[in-house]
Amino acid sequence: MRSDIAAKLASLPPDEQVLLRPLVVTTSRFYIAAAILGGILLWGLFAYYLQVHKGLGGTGLNRPEYWGIYIIDFVFFIGISHAGTLISAILRVSKAEWRRSITRSAEFITVLVLGFGAIQPIIDLGRPDRLFNVIFHAHLRSPLLWDVTSIGLYFTASTIYLYIPMIPDLAIIRDSGIKATWFYTFLAIGYQDTPTQRARLERIIGVLAIVVIPIAISVHTIIGWIFAMTLRPMWHSTIFGPYFVMGAIFSGIAAILIAMVVLRRAYGLENYFKPIHFDYMGRLLLLFSLLWFYFTFAEYLTAFYGAEPAEMRTFWAKLTGPFAVPFWAMVLGCFVIPLGLMSQKSMRTPRGTLIASIAVVIGMWLERYNIVVPTSVNPRWDMESLGHYFPSWVELSILAGTFAGFILLYMIATKFFPIVSIWEMKEGREQSVHEVAVRVAGYLPEPLVASARSE
Amino acid sequence: MTRWGMVIDLDRCTGCAACEVACKSENNIATVSPEQADLGRTFSWMKVMAQVNGDFPDTTMRFMPRPCMQCDNPPCVKVCPVSATYLGEEGIVGQIYARCIGCRYCANACPYTVKYFNWYAPEWPETARHALNPDVSVRPKGVIEKCTFCHHRLQRAKEEARSDGRELQEEDFQPACAEVCPTTAIVFGDLDNPRHRVHELKQDPRAMRLMEELGTEPKVYYLTPRA
Amino acid sequence: MTQSRREFLWSAGAVGAAWALVRNGGVQWSASEANEPEWMPGTEARTNSTCLLCPSRCGIRGRVVDGNLVQIAGNPLHPMSQGGLCPRGIAGVQMLYHPNRLTTPLVRDGARGAGHWKAITPEGAVALLGQRLQALRASGRPEALAVLAGYCAGSMEDVWRRFMQAYGSPNYIADDYNDGTDVVMDLMHGIPRRPAYDLEHAGLVLSFGTPLFEAWWSPLQAYVAFGGPGHSRGEGRSQRLGPRFVQIDTRFSRTAARAHEWVGITPGTYGTLALGIAYVLIKEQLIDVTFIAEHVDGFEDWRDKGGDLQEGFRSLVLRHYRSEEVSAVTGVSVERIVSLAKSMAEHRPAVAVFGAEVLADSGGLFAGLAVQSLNVLMGNINRVGGLLFSDRAPVEPLVTASLDQPARAGLDVRPVAATTAPFGGGDPALKLAQAVAGEGGTSPVDVLLMYYANPLASSTHPEVWSKALSHVPFVVSFSPFLDESARHADLILPDLLPYERWQDAPAPSSYPFPVWGIAQPLVEPRGGKKSGMATGDALLALAQRIGGTVAKSLPYTSMEELLKSRARGLYASGRGMVLGSAFERGHSRQMEERGWWLPQYPEFDSFWSDLVDNGGWADLFHDVTDPARLALTPSGRIQLMPVRLRDALAAEGKGRTLYQSTKSATTTAGTQFPLRLIPYRVSTLASGTLALEPWLAEQPTVFPDTHWVPWVELSPKTAQQMGLHDGVAVWVISSRGRYRARLKVFPGAAPQNVNAPYGLAYPDGESANPLHLLDEAAEPLTSVSAWYSTFVRLERA
Repeated sequence: MRSDIAAKLASLPPDEQVLLRPLVVTTSRFYIAAAILGGILLWGLFAYYLQVHKGLGGTGLNRPEYWGIYIIDFVFFIGISHAGTLISAILRVSKAEWRRSITRSAEFITVLVLGFGAIQPIIDLGRPDRLFNVIFHAHLRSPLLWDVTSIGLYFTASTIYLYIPMIPDLAIIRDSGIKATWFYTFLAIGYQDTPTQRARLERIIGVLAIVVIPIAISVHTIIGWIFAMTLRPMWHSTIFGPYFVMGAIFSGIAAILIAMVVLRRAYGLENYFKPIHFDYMGRLLLLFSLLWFYFTFAEYLTAFYGAEPAEMRTFWAKLTGPFAVPFWAMVLGCFVIPLGLMSQKSMRTPRGTLIASIAVVIGMWLERYNIVVPTSVNPRWDMESLGHYFPSWVELSILAGTFAGFILLYMIATKFFPIVSIWEMKEGREQSVHEVAVRVAGYLPEPLVASARSE
Repeated sequence: MTRWGMVIDLDRCTGCAACEVACKSENNIATVSPEQADLGRTFSWMKVMAQVNGDFPDTTMRFMPRPCMQCDNPPCVKVCPVSATYLGEEGIVGQIYARCIGCRYCANACPYTVKYFNWYAPEWPETARHALNPDVSVRPKGVIEKCTFCHHRLQRAKEEARSDGRELQEEDFQPACAEVCPTTAIVFGDLDNPRHRVHELKQDPRAMRLMEELGTEPKVYYLTPRA
Repeated sequence: MTQSRREFLWSAGAVGAAWALVRNGGVQWSASEANEPEWMPGTEARTNSTCLLCPSRCGIRGRVVDGNLVQIAGNPLHPMSQGGLCPRGIAGVQMLYHPNRLTTPLVRDGARGAGHWKAITPEGAVALLGQRLQALRASGRPEALAVLAGYCAGSMEDVWRRFMQAYGSPNYIADDYNDGTDVVMDLMHGIPRRPAYDLEHAGLVLSFGTPLFEAWWSPLQAYVAFGGPGHSRGEGRSQRLGPRFVQIDTRFSRTAARAHEWVGITPGTYGTLALGIAYVLIKEQLIDVTFIAEHVDGFEDWRDKGGDLQEGFRSLVLRHYRSEEVSAVTGVSVERIVSLAKSMAEHRPAVAVFGAEVLADSGGLFAGLAVQSLNVLMGNINRVGGLLFSDRAPVEPLVTASLDQPARAGLDVRPVAATTAPFGGGDPALKLAQAVAGEGGTSPVDVLLMYYANPLASSTHPEVWSKALSHVPFVVSFSPFLDESARHADLILPDLLPYERWQDAPAPSSYPFPVWGIAQPLVEPRGGKKSGMATGDALLALAQRIGGTVAKSLPYTSMEELLKSRARGLYASGRGMVLGSAFERGHSRQMEERGWWLPQYPEFDSFWSDLVDNGGWADLFHDVTDPARLALTPSGRIQLMPVRLRDALAAEGKGRTLYQSTKSATTTAGTQFPLRLIPYRVSTLASGTLALEPWLAEQPTVFPDTHWVPWVELSPKTAQQMGLHDGVAVWVISSRGRYRARLKVFPGAAPQNVNAPYGLAYPDGESANPLHLLDEAAEPLTSVSAWYSTFVRLERA
């Protein structure tokens, strides 16, 4: 680190010192990790180049197994993207004060992973060169078009929702002069943290937080509907909209937790991601694993009880057939492990939540797999032969590339933007402690003594 | 209103697969390599499905030739984001190869699994290209294709009838599969025209349609086996 | 949202343009390309012809666009196929345009079998072969010329035989589909010909393992009969089905699957079951007593010249073929046997159909006689809906042969493949190979011509053939593809494909009426007019080249001319019709039934031109009153206990008696080869050329679901016991050899059998021929090799 920058950093208040440090200090571990991830990403890009060049034949897809890894990833990544915006918006709207250190990292996940999710269906296209036909020849009855619309809207909204609350921090960086001042000057759009500006900012954030919630819900509902609108066994289900939204939030929470643990270790943010945060997030995770069980149970019981032959073929294929391993692994990851761990206070620690969250992320990926593949290979018509699916190296490479790309981009983002909101911390210290005291007092009945006296 | 449809008499189907091969010849359907075939990537717009039940010697089998059902309420048309598959005026569900983006949503939406995807561009040996039917376009890679009831034959038959100054007759327009079926198990015509055989046959007590309960209104009828 | 017609055309046009590029910018036919500057209307024609890819000889209609054959459909005017066609016939375009198709004659350039060839002109090839044959004849050994000819009924057979006769060689050796039924007919009826079956008018078709819908003489004949008159094109709306089909089979074949009833049976017991049915028919008095009394010998016991009482058919059957015993041997329940007999009586006329599946087995001749006895008992010979001896089309004979001294001398020499079997022709091709391969010194054959014969692939003994070919000094193949045997030739004079040449196409032996289909060139030879020559034309040219009496015996300039001259016989016959619509067919038949026939043509040329346009000639009237069609034995009666066979058995001195059951319950479980091999033809009799049609190679049959790779079928139970699962590669091993196949677990396979399709090969050419595994067993009386008595084991490959 150059000495002038070090001096500038040292002159900042303690919060800023800690939170802006990653912007100017980069360890060799970071570079090694970035190089590995970059290599995987390039490999994925190469695989995609081959796929575009030769056709989708390089995948393990076939008839009737038309959708595979790409669509699974699509649903999965878009699900993860609910981490940020939705959770942060809900916490903001519900005035959960403990959110302050979490929101920024969550919102970053949203924006970055959303992009990686949104490109999956494009990777899956047989003719990516004709992508813009969805605009030129838009057919509004197609759920895929609803999806294009809602993802586009969500991406825009969540980017704004990431950007607007970041403006005061950008202004802080600009003013500190520790890094590319011109860049931050541009991004901070002249924000000077005057009371008027602050009030306007807060109002915009307040409105955005409310607006973004229905958009986020629509996104994953529509993804659920892509499946549910077809007449395929175990897809054609009214529960899919809410089921997908719930699953999305579930996997989102898990993703945030993993990010929190990693950031905490990598950037020494123990002071910001405190045990209480893990405890609260762990409770959320517990709640959603119960919800997940409730939805899944309802979904499978309905299919089982109705016992339509076409449904039952897929049903048994999942429970006892060729998909029994991914199915029960999913139950383990999404329910048994998080329930077992998060129901104990002693496990709602960084380490405990990390284990549970990894289980949930894997479990939720498997859930997408268990939705996409078993139905695909079990056509409704019993005379049609059963399909089979084993992803090819092209698909697995692109899968790896996508994960690597996302993590790499997230890492790079932490080098340019404070991953914990500085001004919100400050605001929390300066205003919220008092505000919350007043608010809590407001919840309570007036003291009896006082009322007696007033009479 | 003309509604082209098909009646397939399962009592007469012998599973000979002449319909399949006639379709492949008429519609320029290429074979795929042995490895691709093992992956389940063969093309057969018309496919004779066979289902074996029971063990030797109490074995029985069902044959069921399956073209595109040409639904009046086609689930595939609804879901296509770019209207590359559409319901034509005379009830034939068409495919626009030049517009298809290859998302395969229609293929997933079709309960009859009649849609085929070009995982690679189709290939013929140079010499074999002489046998390509010039009336039917060869599909590029990455698009969906399926049975069209030999729609190109309809266009020609109409033009010929017009130039002869007469009405279109039943025998003027027959898809390749119906034309070649050795047991005349496949009967084709206008379901709404009382002069066409299918009009009567579709009201036969044996007539049924596949997965009628889905409300897709297929225009392919099957006469169920008597015994 | 729907899409406009303009858009549709645009989409078609865009691809059409790409298609124009690959076709060297030649003239295009496509309505959607009208906007291209160099576009001009193409020519399009639909021409009737006949399919020559298998013995069925169905009517085809080729669609030719700008000189390319783009589609083969059925010819609705053809009385047998009636507009239908099988997948093999339709995929003929792939054979025509196959990349490995030979378009010019090739002469060996380097060591034999080394694969180096030099292209020459057809004239050059004829000259080369002519010189060789002239020299051979000059050396006084015309009999050292041999031809191995595959199925070529009609004028091609006549031309070959004439050529050989005039040349002076008795060695015309047929390597075609010998199902042995001609021997049965000879013994019982004194008529040494394969029978025809009037399936269309039968009430019940009782097939003893005959793959009617797969690889019979004419699957199309069976299909049309099965479909019945209903839904026929442009006609009434009747939904009447054809006859009831009952399939007795050792495997759940497609024919069995589609028959109205199927009966699984232990291999090798068809004859026992037939006699078991005869038992019930006799017991229940369901037989045609009048017919038997009038026309049949050997039913009742009789006293021979010496006064000894001889056991007749009735006593023999009643004594030995009680239902319980038959049931135990055949594995068919007693109830089933009774019901089969009863349904034969119920659905008259009931015809029993049989072929190689019954006869190509040790004990096969008795079994064949047993099955035929059912037709006799039911009085179902020479009746509508029964078994018939059909006429040949009354074509004009070839000009009289003139034989010179060398020819007469050569013809007197004993044929190389002369059979030693008591009955029938045996397996002459194998005899030939053994004769050639066996000699230490000079081969009895100097020049071997292979015409639609590929013995290295089709013979049960490829190793003998391999040696034989190496012994023959000059080997010529007429194969249009470089098949296994052609690779070992010195000269290949490839025939043109059926769509490029003239040939007549008589209906197969199974069809009850004489049909003379005609195949005509639909397109120019693929390499151009000058590059290839049809074998018929080549033979005529060769005869001229050799000159003398050989030329005089075949004085035709081309096959077209020869065929036209033969059609004069049809024109003058005063019967039959040029192929016509169903209405015309019905009309002609009704007229002839009433003894009428009206000439349709004032002179021959218009008759010929219509015959060529419509695809042939047919006579759909069969005279059932002609006693010569029942039996031509010395007594004029059908012999249920054939005299010649009884004499032969007595001479044999092994104590064998007629209709003796040779079947004993053998168990092979636990032995080295526990499973019985059941080879079967997968698609038409010409299954061996399947690989030349990729559409069929990709999906040879609708079940089991399999592609490209040769397979064998095993029952789920047996597979489980052996720990083999569906799709694994296995070795099929017999005491004679082994081959690799993919295992298909198939519930239609009997637990003790391995069903092995014949005629498949790996895409890389690796052979997978179950016939190469057959043990040396043969039917002793006909020396036809037994296909169903070999045992094998499976091992994971």
